[in-house]
Amino acid sequence: MNALLREARFLAKDRGAVLWIVLALLLSAAATGFGIAEVREQRQTIAALLAEDAKDRANAISKHDAWGDAAYDAFHLTYAPPSDFAFAALGQRDTAPWLHRVRMLSLESQIHEADTANADFGLIGRFDFAFLAAAVAPLLLILLLHDLRAGERVAGRHDWLVASAGTPRRLWLPRAGVRFGGLALALLVPFWIGAAIEGAGFGAALAASALVVGSLAAWWAIIAVVGRRNASPPALLAALVGIWLMLALLIPAAARAGIEAAVPVPDGAEILMLQRDAVNDAWDKPKAATMTPFLARHPEWRALGTVEKPFEWKWYYAFQQVGDQQAEPIVTAYRQGRLARDRAAGWAALLSPAALTERGLERLAGTDTRAMIAYEDRVRAFHARLRAFHYPLFFRDPPYDPVVLDGLPRYDPAP
Amino acid sequence: MTPTLEARSLVVMRDGAAVLNDVSFAIAPGEVFALLGGNGAGKSTTLLTFLGFLQPTAGDVLVAGRSVGDDVEAARAKIAYLPEAASLYGHLNAYENLGYFLDLAGRKVSRAALDAALDQVALPTEARQRRMQSYSKGMRQKTAIALALLRDTPILLLDEPTSGLDPVAIDEFHAMVQALAAAGRTVLMVTHDVYGACQVADRVGLLRGGRLVGSFAASDAGGRIDTETVHAAFAAREAA
Repeated sequence: MNALLREARFLAKDRGAVLWIVLALLLSAAATGFGIAEVREQRQTIAALLAEDAKDRANAISKHDAWGDAAYDAFHLTYAPPSDFAFAALGQRDTAPWLHRVRMLSLESQIHEADTANADFGLIGRFDFAFLAAAVAPLLLILLLHDLRAGERVAGRHDWLVASAGTPRRLWLPRAGVRFGGLALALLVPFWIGAAIEGAGFGAALAASALVVGSLAAWWAIIAVVGRRNASPPALLAALVGIWLMLALLIPAAARAGIEAAVPVPDGAEILMLQRDAVNDAWDKPKAATMTPFLARHPEWRALGTVEKPFEWKWYYAFQQVGDQQAEPIVTAYRQGRLARDRAAGWAALLSPAALTERGLERLAGTDTRAMIAYEDRVRAFHARLRAFHYPLFFRDPPYDPVVLDGLPRYDPAP
Repeated sequence: MTPTLEARSLVVMRDGAAVLNDVSFAIAPGEVFALLGGNGAGKSTTLLTFLGFLQPTAGDVLVAGRSVGDDVEAARAKIAYLPEAASLYGHLNAYENLGYFLDLAGRKVSRAALDAALDQVALPTEARQRRMQSYSKGMRQKTAIALALLRDTPILLLDEPTSGLDPVAIDEFHAMVQALAAAGRTVLMVTHDVYGACQVADRVGLLRGGRLVGSFAASDAGGRIDTETVHAAFAAREAA
């Protein structure tokens, strides 16, 4: 304890080291603030749309007197609300859609219409707490620790200090430990405040703190190994920045390129085009071309499955579903490909403490690939409930009664 | 009586070359031993070996009768070391520097004791609160000497201790070393300064090329080593 106090007092007098720690504090406050602002904006967007959702749907339904027309114009809001911890790691919420307004048409094109590029794994992303902790903090730690020994060697104090301390451990461990602790606290205090403001669970905050400290400890070990070399401080700094570049940027980038090449994934636009073509082509095909595959999936409507008029809503919505059925192989490939890439990225992250930390924080925040795919699955499940609600109305075609539509399924965002 | 410091047939090899070669000497408690030698003679290597920073390739070094290699921490705890060109922290003042190094050595010293030591080395009072980056070389050396005094250890290893000191301060330093020896401290100093060594030391050893090539004791010369004799021997050895 005495040694830590001694080194804390010593650190307080070292303007260069204090500058890096204050910078870490400011960056952490900024990253936490940006994260909270972004999450609040997302929540406000969801709240604003939720406030209008039921009203818009009621308004659309009130204008019609047929089940098919009402279903066509009725939009349903689906969304993945950010978790209480999402402010710390926005992750895939930057690239994957987390909000849709779906209706009874083909679903996959609705899910992917804003998804012209792949929403695949994220390794290095926006400036949030996860990016700061994973990629920037190690650089600050390098700046704080790289010349602990070498700087004293150059100043001619190394042997004097060690001789005074008796053992190297009694000197370097508390000196490096105080700097390490100072940096960790500078990073974590704004994060803890943010977690308290956002109401994040204690367990998640604790796990995230352990992840950040563990990541910094891994970097400390790297710096300690390199710092033992009898080289000048600039040479050590250059070597450590090179290692940081490799571990924090090059390996993740190379892994990403390698995984993308090794695991081909169709992009969202392909799904959109395929399904729209399927739906548009259905207008020109014989009715049986739609109804046969539809009834194969829904034999319960076989008795009412004959289409006699040139246009019937049951046929129209059947070819919307058949559009989804035709897109199923590519949708499955897309989903599995993203999961396969994510798994591969998880293995690759073992080579990069930065990627591993960022992925860990995104997992805790529920903003990783698996969480976003889970949201898409919830949208699919909700849409299936919508279809199950509407098909009896389309196929049996009872007299139109808007009160029946009060019983429309409601989307539940809970996982 | 067990010597406080002893080198036994000490050999230290660095990069394949012998920096110290079969060096033997023993320093009794309360004795001041000065090692003289030119650049690269092995003077600082001798001190670093006693401090455990360099391992003997052959032979041994002992502190208070115990091999340094057996317990380097115990050996260091008995030694106050003053390195050549002692470089204290420029961003700290004299009190903070002394406090830091003493704390590192596990010693708590009062402000009054710090002032007493700084008075002893004649560091101006007005300078003590200033950052050391504004100090002259002599002022820095005085502060480092004060630190060695404050360590209150039975052994002092001094590497060119009068470097940067003015003539008056050198005389005061020599008087201080003799007083410390009289109080029972053992001093091993290495220096280029033949005259200073003869003035302060009980014995002077000549190191050349890693070998101890001559030794002069005050007791053999009526209480004081003859500077001219040592100088002549030193010059002859250096010329050889």
